[in-house]
Amino acid sequence: MGVIELENLNYRFPGGPPVLRNVNLSISTGTLVVIAGENGSGKTTLLRHLNGLLLPDSGTVVIDGRPVVDDIRRARQLVGMMFQDADSQIVGETVGADVAFGPENLCLDPHDVSEKVAAALAAVGLTALADQRTNLLSGGEKRRLSIAGILAMEPKIVVFDEPFTSLDYPGTQQVLKEILKLKQSGRTVLVTTHDLEKIIYYADRLIIMHAGKIVRDGIPDDVVGEVETFGVRQPCASRMGLEVAPWHS
Amino acid sequence: MAQLTAFSYCSGDSAVHAMDVRVKMALLMLVSLTVLGAGPAALALMSVCLLFLICYLHLPLKSICSELRYFLVLLVLVFVARALTTPGDPLISTRWVSISREGVLAGAIVVWRMALVVLLGLAFTATTSPPRIKAAVQWMLKPIPLIPRARIATMMALLLRLIPLIFTQLSETMDAQRARGIENRKNPFYRMTKFSIPFLRRSFETADRLALAMDARCYSDQRTDPLLTASRRDIGVLSAAAAFFILIYLV
Repeated sequence: MGVIELENLNYRFPGGPPVLRNVNLSISTGTLVVIAGENGSGKTTLLRHLNGLLLPDSGTVVIDGRPVVDDIRRARQLVGMMFQDADSQIVGETVGADVAFGPENLCLDPHDVSEKVAAALAAVGLTALADQRTNLLSGGEKRRLSIAGILAMEPKIVVFDEPFTSLDYPGTQQVLKEILKLKQSGRTVLVTTHDLEKIIYYADRLIIMHAGKIVRDGIPDDVVGEVETFGVRQPCASRMGLEVAPWHS
Repeated sequence: MAQLTAFSYCSGDSAVHAMDVRVKMALLMLVSLTVLGAGPAALALMSVCLLFLICYLHLPLKSICSELRYFLVLLVLVFVARALTTPGDPLISTRWVSISREGVLAGAIVVWRMALVVLLGLAFTATTSPPRIKAAVQWMLKPIPLIPRARIATMMALLLRLIPLIFTQLSETMDAQRARGIENRKNPFYRMTKFSIPFLRRSFETADRLALAMDARCYSDQRTDPLLTASRRDIGVLSAAAAFFILIYLV
């Protein structure tokens, strides 16, 4: 049984068309899964079911052996979520205060909170900026701060919603490096994107979503040739029949 | 990016930085109250102390003055109003205007007091990080029943967090409208409507996304209380300062 199990998941926003249609998915521990698809294909909606921000109209979401609806707080602790817009994810006035937000919500002892904040900041290389005001950070630093905020809650699964949007080359490299570190630490990582170029080399599995359904699911090499049928640009190297190269040196 | 540089925290390792935030807040209140009733001699003494503090903290006086320029304009207005409206021995008297000696003195004292209180506030915010201020407010609300102090503290934090974000959005929306020639429209009502609708929509959307992100990180009113510790030195400083200011007040 996978750490994430979705069964017959259906969801529609009130008054709107179905956004997820009969989605079935099983993801095993420690894998890096890329979910691609055009805008409106249901990627973000799917991610928001993993920590109970959205609850399905029908079907079940099971995280680490337990349905999300049974204990939403547990699901939110186990599934760390990085949103598309890092700026609106940052809650704290300073870098340290933002990272402490999650552990404080878990009602941990103040000394434990300090330890987790220090460890999370060290993990993303932001220790020196602990007292910095968050609005003065660069785009890449804001994403790293969002990752630190997630790490401080010690999740088993980390999901990234379009993590490379609006980032320059160094910023993208920083975020990519953090994603790879998370994978190496044994966590399950899910990344949604419509820009496969940067992440495909590292993915263990590629899932394509279209109109609320999973239309392709497999090893990246097997799936990547068909992605343009579903509104996702095929990586340049793969188009030219070459082997996809790592994006991060 | 819009930034608020006045009244913002400057990290450091001075004794004032290390002082317990509750003690600093108590001192701020004590000094402010003393300033309100102090005469010229006491104000001069406190000004010297404050100048010494600003130099000790290495606060950039030049940029502080530049940041507080609008406040300085307010001070000038207060001084002029006082000088013109207080009756007494005329210092300058024309057909239309009469400035009294008492008015100038009263205006100078009021302006001096206001400037001291603002500079004190500036020294406080420069040496105290926003999370510590939030923690102190939360601690101070503890004895008051039925007050959701955790929620109030979170609202304070969000306010501090959102102000620069809202300034950025404000400036972006204004730039976008200028780029499309809004300045050619002379009707202020039209301009206000066209500006406020996208700006408010964007602000509410940001607030929605923030609320969602807080939910994703398990936000609830049941949270870890911040850890605040006052050392013996803090208590000593507070006691000495209290004695000093009571003495000033009595003299």
